[in-house]
Amino acid sequence: MRYAPAILVGRSVRTLARLRKPGGGSAVPGLVVNRIAPGYLAHALNSFAGGLVIVSGSSGKSTTTKMLVAALRAHGRSVFTNPSTANISQGLTSALLEEADLSGRIARDIAVLEMDEGHGALIAPQLSPRVVALTNVMVDQIDRFHDPEMVAGMLARIAHRATGTVVVNADDAHLVELAEALHDRVQFLRFGVTTEVLDRSRHGLGHARQSEERLPAADGVLVTAVDGRLATLSVDGFEHTINLPARGVHYATDAAAALATAKAVLGEAFDAGVACAAIGAIPPVFGRGEVVSIDGQNVEFVLVQNPASFQLNIDTVDTDAPKLFAIGSDVRDPSYFWPVDTSALGSVDIVSGSKAAELALQLAYDDVRIGRVEDDLARAIDDFLAAPPPSRGMKTIIFSADSMRRTRAHLGLTADTEVVS
Amino acid sequence: MTVSITVAVIAPSLLNTNGDAENAQVLARRARWGGAEAVVVPVEHPDDLPPDPDAIVIGSGSDADLEAARDLLLAIHDELRVAATRGVPILAVGTGLELLSWGIEHDDNTVTEGLGLVAGRAVANTARVSDDIVVASPRFGRLVGFENHARAYVGAEGSPLGRVAYGVGNGRDSSQEGVVMGEVIGTHLHGPLLAKNPAMADHLLASMFTRLGAGYVAGERAVEADKHAARARAAILERLGQTAD
Ligand SMILES: [Zn+2]
Repeated sequence: MRYAPAILVGRSVRTLARLRKPGGGSAVPGLVVNRIAPGYLAHALNSFAGGLVIVSGSSGKSTTTKMLVAALRAHGRSVFTNPSTANISQGLTSALLEEADLSGRIARDIAVLEMDEGHGALIAPQLSPRVVALTNVMVDQIDRFHDPEMVAGMLARIAHRATGTVVVNADDAHLVELAEALHDRVQFLRFGVTTEVLDRSRHGLGHARQSEERLPAADGVLVTAVDGRLATLSVDGFEHTINLPARGVHYATDAAAALATAKAVLGEAFDAGVACAAIGAIPPVFGRGEVVSIDGQNVEFVLVQNPASFQLNIDTVDTDAPKLFAIGSDVRDPSYFWPVDTSALGSVDIVSGSKAAELALQLAYDDVRIGRVEDDLARAIDDFLAAPPPSRGMKTIIFSADSMRRTRAHLGLTADTEVVS
Repeated sequence: MTVSITVAVIAPSLLNTNGDAENAQVLARRARWGGAEAVVVPVEHPDDLPPDPDAIVIGSGSDADLEAARDLLLAIHDELRVAATRGVPILAVGTGLELLSWGIEHDDNTVTEGLGLVAGRAVANTARVSDDIVVASPRFGRLVGFENHARAYVGAEGSPLGRVAYGVGNGRDSSQEGVVMGEVIGTHLHGPLLAKNPAMADHLLASMFTRLGAGYVAGERAVEADKHAARARAAILERLGQTAD
């Protein structure tokens, strides 16, 4: 009952916060509890009977976490997970408080947490995860982390805390090295893609450093084919077809990561067929190949967040489709996007967002035809949607996270809680 | 007779963290827009270096790759020196500049020897710099860009690229940015600085074309692209409270 007073205070703060701002203030109770009982967060996270699972990496962690949770629940496990990407300690503590009894315990078998690499490395020393799954190391958020080695170092700090299994992407050289260094302390499971899948992805996988060799099928979970939203994965030598929440190799890789991690968590109880069916039932991911019906016309949303997802998502965009491309203030300096080859877009009808001119500059140097540059995103969206429907392809809006939020708000679409950092 | 341009870009697999290696594409694209033929040759191995490149671009990378990049540069040291002497434009950004300098002093007192192609050396700084930068350059006019570097640069006082109007540049209270020796330009302005500063790009192109006995005139597409550059610059300058171009 050590934490009972803190939890009572947290609950009353939550009630007060809701009275002041219905539905809001969700991080406040966590902030208060973390202050009066700083050990609570780690205590609660380490107390799940089935253990704690941490998913981290530069990109794909959000999708991987969702897939993993679906797979575990389909196996009858009761799972606690972070509801949004409220990675920060306060958000996490608040979410725990929602379910905790007075002793601080939560009546769930397993906790699965998606952790931002920066925040994860900060709270990792207090945690004892049974399984740590790492998706990749990409040149992501340069202004924050400066270089891939720094990201790899943070992921290593998280992986070091694993007591059972570390699950890594075999195609990512940083992660393979990191796992090998832990070899004698924990088990490790790998996932990856075949040479054929790699050869067919026009710009590679986007890892900061790619492994020299592909993973043999017998050694882990392997993506063996990707065709639109259908992927084939080999698990323990058996092929499974799986429905992806969006097109592209990176979603198939997320599914492979989720399957490998589910296997690490469930052990003997793991049933690949059950897991694949559960992952296939996940609704399309927000803003990444999501098709939205606006006033009777279908529009595809494509999110670009870092050079890797930028390249991979652009490679799946239909060249014939009319396109609106917007980059907002979330991209502090778009320089690091320049290695992305945007020429496959062919043309962009409207370039918009607060970084419109910088984006137009890059497109111009890739010989992409630009219809017009419209700094005002709301006007750009209205004009784009008012244009006659295309004879081929679907109107496509490509945006950064900030422009996505603004677009959704402008169109009155439900608030997106899925945006990653 | 069509002018044929070869731009060598050194170790883009190691030195392109901020998109600096893409300056090679910017030169090639503008050369093509100006009626020339142009290719970009990535140099990952000493043998990849074309015999008589018309321009050389060296980008910025992470410290983990410093030694590997330096070893490659050392293997083509003579060729680089010959090119510099002949007036071939060499653009070196961030760690690219540091590797062309006398050397890099690390926090742990170790030193990565540079090529000594330009004056100065990289030294420890109190904090990492990651912000916009504006430089007044006597040769290229006003340069607008972004800097992201952990070290300062000293010893370039005799021939800097320009004076810092906003940002840090070489640091250590020098109020200066970069280093220029003939057509060798070293700078902390990362990313596609030649796209955002077309006056500098066209200066380099003019000197490349002249060496080949031809005249350079910016093509129509370049003029179009430069309108985007002007808007991008205007947005940054306004945000920084600097006077418009
Ligand atoms: Zn940067």
